[in-house]
Amino acid sequence: MRHVGLKLRMAVVGSLLFGFYGVAAVVLMGMFGTNVFPLVIVGSVAFVGVQYKLGKWMALRSVGAEDLPEDRHPEIHRRVESLARDMRIDKPRLMIASMGVPNAFAVGRKGAGTVVVSQELLRTLDPDEVEGVLAHELAHIRNRDVVMMVLGQGIASIVAIVAQWAVLLTGDNDLADLFLAIVVGQLTQMLVMVFVFAISRYREYVADADAAREIGSGEPLASALEKISHSATRREDAGVDDQVNALCIFGDGGGLANLLATHPPVEKRIERLRS
Amino acid sequence: MADLRTLLAAGLGLLLGVCCLLAPGAVVRVHTVGRRPHDRRGGYGADGDPSGRWLLLVRAVGVGFVLAGGYFGYVAVG
Repeated sequence: MRHVGLKLRMAVVGSLLFGFYGVAAVVLMGMFGTNVFPLVIVGSVAFVGVQYKLGKWMALRSVGAEDLPEDRHPEIHRRVESLARDMRIDKPRLMIASMGVPNAFAVGRKGAGTVVVSQELLRTLDPDEVEGVLAHELAHIRNRDVVMMVLGQGIASIVAIVAQWAVLLTGDNDLADLFLAIVVGQLTQMLVMVFVFAISRYREYVADADAAREIGSGEPLASALEKISHSATRREDAGVDDQVNALCIFGDGGGLANLLATHPPVEKRIERLRS
Repeated sequence: MADLRTLLAAGLGLLLGVCCLLAPGAVVRVHTVGRRPHDRRGGYGADGDPSGRWLLLVRAVGVGFVLAGGYFGYVAVG
């Protein structure tokens, strides 16, 4: 059985998210009656669906992604085709963008996935390292990680909106109630997202392990992560973000930031890939 | 006796304000993950911080929450 650990974790987090959603639905029905149940279901599905479609479109548009020409990058197309065949998924659409940093990401789902790589990534990494990165992104598509994140965000947003309105409709409509509603909405979303982030971090490890298995070694991806991580450290040392960092009194690497991080620490990923 | 909802508004407002001040990038991430690829910004394999403008905006909102929380706290117990 593949990914037993992931399935168990997903069962726990999925139950929690469903529980949050259930409470929100019950609160809505308590406020407006049980007749709203079909509307709640249809509204939720539509909300998540629109978010998924818009998110994909916005992501590609925001980086100015263009199709990766096969005549200029035949090797990448060939490797992705081979990886997709081994992973038993359709070959995703390959796109390229100038992002200013070495990066790659996947959007979409199994059968309609898109992988975007940055020009900087292709310039920085060796072909084997690029293959490691591509295998990791394909694993995200195969494991439906993008869809899971959209679903998690959708549930968090719905629960937050319901919590906000529940506070608003049960109060006296004074200024304190309005403020409390906004704050409760925000904190509720954060609370639900803590669980979504936790599973996202685990999914990164799973995608790493899948990539290592598919290409026969964890070294190419570990080496890619190490190279990119070092170049990022050099950029930071060079003071590229000094203007921003000067305004950061506490920085953003503390406990809360770690709790609300989608990726595990790069060092741990490298260590696992090499172990 | 202090109004419970006003006290809650004060306490939770302060809490949210502190979160915005301490970890603005994480607060932005809470709203953007799933709506756009979470690893689109920054280097590969890490959570990219949003742009400086967004961080500043979240911090400014955080200051607003702290001030409003303080005000409601004063109203509730004052």
